[in-house]
Amino acid sequence: MTTAPPASPILEIIDAVHVYDDVVALDGVSITAAPGEFLTILGESGSGKTTLLRIISGLETPYSVRVLRLGGVDVRDTPAFKRNCTTVFQNYALFPHMSVGENVAYGLKVRGTPASERETRSREALRLVQLEDMYDRRVHQLSGGQRQRVALARALVPQPDILLLDEPLGALDERLRVDMQVELMGLQKTLGTTFVYITHSQEEALTMSDRILLMRHGKIEQTGTPTDIFDRPVSAFAARFMGVDNCFEGDLISLDGERADVMVGGERLAGRWSGKRKPKAGEKVAIGMRAEWLTLADTAPDRDDINVLPCRGDGAIYKGKYLDRTVDTGVAPMKARIWDVASAVPEPSFVWWKKDDCIVMNA
Amino acid sequence: MTLAAETAKPTRRPFLLRWIDGLRPSSIVVPTFLVAWSLLVLLPLLVIVVFSFFSVKYYKVVYSPTFETWESLINSGRWLSAVRTLRVAVTMTVIELLLAFPFALWLAKGCRSKYVKAAIITLLTIPFFLDASSRIIVWRSILGANGAVNSLLMWLGVTDAPIEWLLYSEFAVHFGLIGTHFPTMVFPIFLSCALIDNDYIAASQDLGARPSQTLFTVIIPLALPGIVAGIVFTLVPLMAAFVEPQLLGGGFVDLLGNSVNSALQQLKYPTAAALSTFVVALLGICLAVLILVLRKRADISAMFVAMKR
Repeated sequence: MTTAPPASPILEIIDAVHVYDDVVALDGVSITAAPGEFLTILGESGSGKTTLLRIISGLETPYSVRVLRLGGVDVRDTPAFKRNCTTVFQNYALFPHMSVGENVAYGLKVRGTPASERETRSREALRLVQLEDMYDRRVHQLSGGQRQRVALARALVPQPDILLLDEPLGALDERLRVDMQVELMGLQKTLGTTFVYITHSQEEALTMSDRILLMRHGKIEQTGTPTDIFDRPVSAFAARFMGVDNCFEGDLISLDGERADVMVGGERLAGRWSGKRKPKAGEKVAIGMRAEWLTLADTAPDRDDINVLPCRGDGAIYKGKYLDRTVDTGVAPMKARIWDVASAVPEPSFVWWKKDDCIVMNA
Repeated sequence: MTLAAETAKPTRRPFLLRWIDGLRPSSIVVPTFLVAWSLLVLLPLLVIVVFSFFSVKYYKVVYSPTFETWESLINSGRWLSAVRTLRVAVTMTVIELLLAFPFALWLAKGCRSKYVKAAIITLLTIPFFLDASSRIIVWRSILGANGAVNSLLMWLGVTDAPIEWLLYSEFAVHFGLIGTHFPTMVFPIFLSCALIDNDYIAASQDLGARPSQTLFTVIIPLALPGIVAGIVFTLVPLMAAFVEPQLLGGGFVDLLGNSVNSALQQLKYPTAAALSTFVVALLGICLAVLILVLRKRADISAMFVAMKR
């Protein structure tokens, strides 16, 4: 499933360390990106993802880095304006004193491209983001979504090797965000440019990326394809970030290949091992299951490929498409997602889920 | 129940608070400003203009219109000092701009330490609270024929005789004016540079602009409101400067400010009034030129709209 990056990566960073006023922003981060790859850096705010992006673009000089190559060329001492990568900033940073067209043409103007070619290519880029009529508008006349597209066009016009996107959809409303996701993916396929995309939204990361890099406290927690990270989170943090609703701590009883047995609050639960570092029996591990994999029932089914816990119905949160039911098991409160509300059990006494749908990870 | 009872009987707030709440700023500020400004500034200016058409006989003002004062102004060659004043003021404004812009930009964007920044801003206010005469008079002992600079140069053997043009010359006047008018140029430029979002500068670099290109295509256009304010706040007081020319010019560099001052001391009010009118007219022309030049390059009012984002 996971394809190893080919021999000549377009981006290669080994062991980047960065410190802001005694705060460690990056702690030995190494990443690579293949040409044409859509790489997403996922993480909470303050996890160091923007710092990483600024180090790639050259706007920040890392405290130390062993290897920093763009397109195979060492750029450790290359200033930002000489690097062939451009950024779509989080707040777009469109120059307020220039028209839309001047903004888009800026990257060509500073390279000394003749005015006529500049205009042709800028109009072409604006057409690509469906804003061809806006060439002569002022920036402050545009809506948020339009500014976002102009920022994208401006960054694409100089034909960078790598396009860096810093939470570009963060300020847009839900509907527009979903549309733009699709558009960005299409654009990336058409142009074949390497995209390094920063987001804190696991949904965006899963939808768009070829590969996801999950960051935590300036370190890389997990790297993998969206399916990898979604199905096999390596830690409780990764699991929670990828939307595993029920995540508890337990003691490992035994680990036999893929099969892990865990003691949680006096109950023995079995699951599949997806962690990184294999623990010894008795060590603390995390066990997680998604709300949609849990089934609530009146009676416990008699099968040996499932975990069953007795429970008492607690609260319910109506979410429109589905109903989130909280149940109180002896272990901990658990959340179960019910899609078919009509045939749901009103007062469940058991909750069960498949052992294969239960993941055991490093705590 | 209780809620309904309370809302039915609203408590009366003090009159002052109700009055403040009911204020509509525009309806008060506009007339107040117009009336106050007319009485405090425009009316005296008008009186000055009118006064320049009167004359003084035996230390008494004769209130009958005459062009006497204006004629003597032109015949006595005092208008030449107006031209000199304009030349000095414009030269100094250019010098101050060239010195202040890099400094203000560094202070706003380059200076990382908050303490250094605060210290520099505090130091810059010194010319405002220390009297000009006491600051300027010190230079006499430094620049004079037996002053520190000449003594040092002669001791080092650079020159045999003291350099005469260091004091009581146009050089000395320019030199003395630098310190006084530096802060008024720095502060507006510093503020407008500080308001430039770092992301604009980052975006410019990121898109491939060399530092010089970023300076001329992003930073200077965005700092333009501050630059214009700095020019106005520096040029205007320079037109009226009289302490530095008096103390460091040694009577050789007679500027309009000095002429006004000496005319006032001789109780020649119409002359002072005529000279002042001339200064105001010159300033008006300078500012009109500035506005016309800028109109072609950029729309300042649109810039403020754009800066708000």
